[in-house]
Amino acid sequence: MSDPEPVDRTRDAGADETRTDADVGAPDDAILRVRDLDAGYGELQILSGIDLDVGDGEYVTIVGPNGAGKSTVMKTVFGLTTYLGGTISFESEPIHELPPERIIHKGISYVPQSNNVFDGLTVRENLEMGAYILDTVPESRIEAVYDRFPVLRDRRDQKAGTMSGGQRQMVAMGRALMLDPDLLLLDEPSAGLAPDLVDDMFDRIDEINENGTAVLMVEQNATEALRRCDRGYVLTQGQNAYTDAGTRLLADEEVRQQFLGG
Amino acid sequence: MGATKLLDRGRGSRSLPLLLAWLVGILLVLDIGARLAGVEIPLAAGRTFGGSMSVAQFGGLVWNGVIVGLIFGLAGIGLSMTYSILNFANFSHGDLITTGAFTGWGAALLVSGWGLAEAGTLLLVRAASGPSPNEIGASIIQAPLAIAIGVVVAAVATVLVTVAIDRVVYRPMRDRGGIALLIASIGVALGLRYVVQFVFGSRSRGVTATDGVRTTIAGVSVNLHELTLFVVALVLMGGMHLLLQRTKLGTAMRAMADNKDLALVTGIPTERVVTATWILGGALAGVAGYLYVLERGTIEFNIGWFLLLFIFAAVILGGIGSIYGAIAGGLVIGLVHEVSLVWISGDFNAAAAFLIMVIVLLYRPEGLFSGVTTA
Repeated sequence: MSDPEPVDRTRDAGADETRTDADVGAPDDAILRVRDLDAGYGELQILSGIDLDVGDGEYVTIVGPNGAGKSTVMKTVFGLTTYLGGTISFESEPIHELPPERIIHKGISYVPQSNNVFDGLTVRENLEMGAYILDTVPESRIEAVYDRFPVLRDRRDQKAGTMSGGQRQMVAMGRALMLDPDLLLLDEPSAGLAPDLVDDMFDRIDEINENGTAVLMVEQNATEALRRCDRGYVLTQGQNAYTDAGTRLLADEEVRQQFLGG
Repeated sequence: MGATKLLDRGRGSRSLPLLLAWLVGILLVLDIGARLAGVEIPLAAGRTFGGSMSVAQFGGLVWNGVIVGLIFGLAGIGLSMTYSILNFANFSHGDLITTGAFTGWGAALLVSGWGLAEAGTLLLVRAASGPSPNEIGASIIQAPLAIAIGVVVAAVATVLVTVAIDRVVYRPMRDRGGIALLIASIGVALGLRYVVQFVFGSRSRGVTATDGVRTTIAGVSVNLHELTLFVVALVLMGGMHLLLQRTKLGTAMRAMADNKDLALVTGIPTERVVTATWILGGALAGVAGYLYVLERGTIEFNIGWFLLLFIFAAVILGGIGSIYGAIAGGLVIGLVHEVSLVWISGDFNAAAAFLIMVIVLLYRPEGLFSGVTTA
């Protein structure tokens, strides 16, 4: 883990000469650097020419209309799609040709949108599986996850499949946090949650990020996601449209009209 | 409203046969009670309700049911695991059982009959004429070590064959879907069976020595080979339970049976788990075949194939994907198979076992242990 201090993400604004002052560009200390990425599923190309960066400890959201390829970006970073061209590097190492189990070793964890817990396993077993690549399950990590989600400690012997949507999402995030990743990929973490739980979920993601873990998130609840993140990407038809500070994208009239429903 | 009505009608048309099945079941239980009590009530056409059956006779049937049930269950564990983790019904499982039986008994006869005949004859499980089983003396009394070595060899040899088949046939087809794999497994089953037949011959022959195997312990007559089967099967089932519930590998196997995609993104080495599944399933199948021959005393190239239908019945009845379901289903099928002999002749008791399977599936399509995936 790196620099645990809160960093002002906007400090790099204007560092890149080609951008206008209003832009908040990618930080120079990007741990994830995606360049000119083409990817898809088999023959079907979804993404073309994607550029995306996530800085160390940064909180980045991808928004865009349905079918823009938001989730595909995330899956491609994690090695779950067909790579067609371009580069993905993580902490300066190319990872675009690695399978998911190798990418986990590099320090990236991924929480899929649905079916993201092992229903037949207990909460504790779910967490243990998150640390499968380690020789022994670090008890301190399990405790850290329990501290973050206290309800999981109370329900550690309960089968994950019998839990509520919000609790399952906590199990899924807890599992992904078991390796203390440098980058956490979250695919629609608020999907399927009752409205009163959505805020709570976003608060927890804030906490995880404040602890130093970089977050790359796809969210249907774009307004809330942009409000909370450091920086947002707007994706349309498998291509980047804009990137800027989340709050500035929110304020942008065009973005609002096109992607956030006015 | 319409949907509710439809549902009700659906239930109504099914509840009558269910009631009938329960009624028949209760009558049969009462009949056994009457027979044990020696009560006989004449019915029409020379048939009677009740009759006479000694407790020992009935106990013998139940015991036989448990013994075959344990074989079905032990072999079924592997079938159920490959179904839930690899997503296909493996029709070559029966011939893995046969493989274990022949290789294990080859080793057991070689050890117990060393010097009595050519090593080749012994290793090929008396393929050629030679000393009789009683001369070779392969029994738990005369050669316990040979019997134990046979168990180990059956497991190891079957594992080697299973893993080799996976590497050559199933692994390249991993993403092809259940139907393609199922059909491939039928081909593997035929191939394996004919290799066994080619190597070991097609003659059905005795292998175990019988002297002193039936004895009396605490006033009860027991067959020591059946007792061996009982103990070894229970130990292996207990071991599987501990492995699945207490070890990291076992948890990963359950995780993978639950959700393969998530297992992949969690960093579980899925291919290694698949190999472990084949190893465990193959070992149990091989030992099941070996123990089956220990109990029945004779060996033949198609024993596993004939067992396979019962094992499928047991696994489906128990809820495919659950090892506990496989064990419970095995015991139910085994008990029905044997206890039905009270009323019907030995030519029909297999039908009774399958009838029970059909009835259970009609009313509980997901099997007895539904929703318990490899757990």
